[in-house]
Amino acid sequence: MTNAPRKRRSWATAVTFGLVAGFVAVAVTARFNPTWAAQVKGSDSKAPAAKEATKTKKKAAPVVLQVPGAGQKLDAHALSKIIDQEVAKKLSAESITASALSSDSEFIRRVYLDVVGVIPTADKVKAFLESKEPNKRTKLIDELLADPRFGTSLAELWSTLMIPRESNNRLLKYTPLQKWLADSFNAGKPVDKLVYELLTATGTQDENGAVTFFVGNPSVDKMTDNVARMFLGVQLQCAQCHNHPFTDWKQTEYWAMAAFFMKTRLSANPQQAAKKGVSPGISETNAAPKKKGGLPESAKIVPAKFLQGEQPSLNKSEPYRPVLAKWIADSKNPFFAKAMVNRFWYQYFGRGIVNPVDDMHEENPASHPELLAAMTEQFKTNGFDLKYLIRAICNSETYQRSSKPNDSNKEDVELFSHAYVRVLSGEQLYDSLSTVAGKANVNRQVLTKGVGGKKGPGTPRDNFLNFFRIDEGLNPLEYQQGIPQALRLMNSPQFSASADAISAATKAGNNEPAKVIEHLFLTAVARPPTQQELGVFTKHVSQRGAGNAAYGDVLWALLNSSEFALNH
Amino acid sequence: MLTRREMLKYGAVGVVGASASGWLDILASRAAEVRAQTKRCVLLWMAGGPSHKDTFDLRPGTTNGGPYQQIQTNVTGIQISEYFPRLARLMNHGAIIRSMSTPEGAHARASYNLHTGYREGQGGLVYPSMGSIVAKELGNQESPLPNFVSIGQRSYGSGFLGARYQPLIVNDPARGVENLRTNLATDQFQGRINLLEELEQGFNRTHETHVGVAHRTTYQRAVTLMRDAGARAFDISNEPAAGRRGYGTGKFGEGCLLARRLIETGVTFAEVTLGGWDTHQNNFARVRQLSEQVDPAMSQLVTDLKDRGLLDSTLVIWMGEFGRTPRINARGAQPGRDHYPRAWSCVMMGGGIKGGQVIGRTDAEAATVAERPVSTLDFMSTVCRILGIDHNKQNNAANGRPIRIVDRGANPITQLL
Repeated sequence: MTNAPRKRRSWATAVTFGLVAGFVAVAVTARFNPTWAAQVKGSDSKAPAAKEATKTKKKAAPVVLQVPGAGQKLDAHALSKIIDQEVAKKLSAESITASALSSDSEFIRRVYLDVVGVIPTADKVKAFLESKEPNKRTKLIDELLADPRFGTSLAELWSTLMIPRESNNRLLKYTPLQKWLADSFNAGKPVDKLVYELLTATGTQDENGAVTFFVGNPSVDKMTDNVARMFLGVQLQCAQCHNHPFTDWKQTEYWAMAAFFMKTRLSANPQQAAKKGVSPGISETNAAPKKKGGLPESAKIVPAKFLQGEQPSLNKSEPYRPVLAKWIADSKNPFFAKAMVNRFWYQYFGRGIVNPVDDMHEENPASHPELLAAMTEQFKTNGFDLKYLIRAICNSETYQRSSKPNDSNKEDVELFSHAYVRVLSGEQLYDSLSTVAGKANVNRQVLTKGVGGKKGPGTPRDNFLNFFRIDEGLNPLEYQQGIPQALRLMNSPQFSASADAISAATKAGNNEPAKVIEHLFLTAVARPPTQQELGVFTKHVSQRGAGNAAYGDVLWALLNSSEFALNH
Repeated sequence: MLTRREMLKYGAVGVVGASASGWLDILASRAAEVRAQTKRCVLLWMAGGPSHKDTFDLRPGTTNGGPYQQIQTNVTGIQISEYFPRLARLMNHGAIIRSMSTPEGAHARASYNLHTGYREGQGGLVYPSMGSIVAKELGNQESPLPNFVSIGQRSYGSGFLGARYQPLIVNDPARGVENLRTNLATDQFQGRINLLEELEQGFNRTHETHVGVAHRTTYQRAVTLMRDAGARAFDISNEPAAGRRGYGTGKFGEGCLLARRLIETGVTFAEVTLGGWDTHQNNFARVRQLSEQVDPAMSQLVTDLKDRGLLDSTLVIWMGEFGRTPRINARGAQPGRDHYPRAWSCVMMGGGIKGGQVIGRTDAEAATVAERPVSTLDFMSTVCRILGIDHNKQNNAANGRPIRIVDRGANPITQLL
């Protein structure tokens, strides 16, 4: 650790003290080891998880958390300030200097990708860069949160997280769930209500898209695993077959949670439903709960009990899931709100305050426990309002830092000293390429014939997503694509030969090579070229005879660059 | 005229010089390199589950034995289906395992199980397939060629081992790797690469991030592959007609030929899929037709490897996800056999195994294992042992959990080693 003088930034001291006057001491059982940050520094991104996971088991000692803003209801901007203040505390303790604020180019591209899942068009970039409005970033955040693509992109992300692809759900239709989620997110439905509705949904997929969650996880254990992971932020699945290695969760505790799904019945699995051409559905019958015969070998028949909580009395003639859903979506639930906050933090920063994002337990402490507690409390106090939470994150200076590291913070992988560079998801990549090509809508149309030699209908987008899908789920901090994907991006004419994009740039640049090149840069990477780049690219264009072929080369290089494939 | 083998031999010492295709020299010199290196594997995957009772474990003349006859192989006492006449003459190089007994009876879950050694969904992880494991443990990480190539379908991938070990997929062996060629003139492509490098250097200078480095490295590997002479191995049209003939016609034959070319150039694991074995109906016509594709293709593959001195270092596996019911079902005029994981057969050839033997035995109906049951774990650990991989080695899953290449409880077939 260096002993460089602490460089306090002016914004850190400018925090309004009134906001944080309401410190309240809360006793929690969290273990904080002051050396953990030093242990994992400079190692690759997989190592910290390994170290955290193999830490020796120690009984947690209660520590007192000072939760900023406790007992008050703070607006999004006040919460942004708390984010900055808590992150600054840790940085200054480690003598790390945060990176400067992002440029407008960095910011607009990042916030577009994060909030609406796609890069901005060149026109939007130009207008934003030219605008002199003092609040233009806040205004842009509000504009994007009101854009319907906010809901559609988040719905796609959630649907793949909620329903991991497996052989027995490969014919599942995701669209009813995506539509249901998108409508809910866009309408600003409080997340507690949304999750309650998801967990208690009945009917067919056609009637109620929310049942897709159960249709796609068509067994008691899959459902238990995915509800726990997604909405409680915990990995219960290890406890299916044996007691959990790092927690107090016993195998009986797993099956006690699973017991809430014993009466849920599926009308037809995705395979059967697709064959018969019917819409599969979910009901919660009055029939007796499932017997051991229909369950995995490891199953234990035990009374339903909330995770580390009480054993509710269940009425045998009533459905069970609403009892569980009510417990999960309650503001007193110890897991839910915290798991949601951590999940969104992860989505916007690439690393959870607790990391891995869905592995929250005592032996895996938060990097910023006070911050997580404060955000959790404010999220609840503000009615589980997702847009509130995202507004607070995006308006923070922490989110708006540059992704360019400095000498003091380039080793940092978890204190949020700079924006971590993240890999675009398949959806973000495809939609961004389509935006550049000016074919965002065309490419969503269903082809009548299958693509790539595969049977069945699909859109070019589906085909692309299938080709770029990561088996284990996307880790935004690892570049996981291989040679076949690079070959497709380089050599398939699908995107790089976009005549529309080139003619738009030629027109916007008035046929002047430097201006055309600049427009292509704005289109693809939301910034003008540097002087050096302009020199190299102009020379190339003049040698090739400033025409479509030469500009095609420029566009090709931009679309295949790291800067395009990454969110920075 | 020189035989192919002679051409290779002379080509390697420069007697023939620029031979028929110019490509042979490279093949020959690489074959010499490959021979000295670690082991390789070709997995011939029979998707759908081949009927063991109509291929390698027959019961002719019994009630549910079906119409096929057995033929004698070149190993005394080993008999196989009459539709494998060429394989029968290579039996001294191979072993039949007649006592496979595995836990999954649905296609997807069984294929997953036999490719990875684990059950789908087990412990909430996605497990790497055999090809990815072998690519990681034995592959030449410096090679511009991928270490795992899957021909004919999207195979099971690298799971938690990550993108580095994903298979390169060749959907159609006659078309080679998709998008491997650019439509541009060489200098135009080079011009584009120069522009790209300018951007990459700029970004990496200011960002110093490993995702940027990984992106750039992946592109560099892809471009190297486009330019590498070895990439020509993917283009089977470079193969002289004489070399192609023995494989028979059809995609599977082309796939086996491609697999041989890839193994010769240093690819560590090639998987070739032949579908259509899910013979619930019309079993006997279909199994005969499929066997007639397998026999020339697999035999020529083994023969070519032998001629090139690569058979001892290259394990060839023939298998599907399960066997089929010993009873013939009652599905109308053209009945078939249904899924059957309880007792079935697979075949291994080459790889330095002790050839000319049969492992295990089923009962009179070929319905239950009577001797030496071979579980999925036993099978996987045997493949590892043959290839020289420590099957107890642990690799880390993304969340830091150490996972054995083959789960605990494996009992490798030492008889083969």
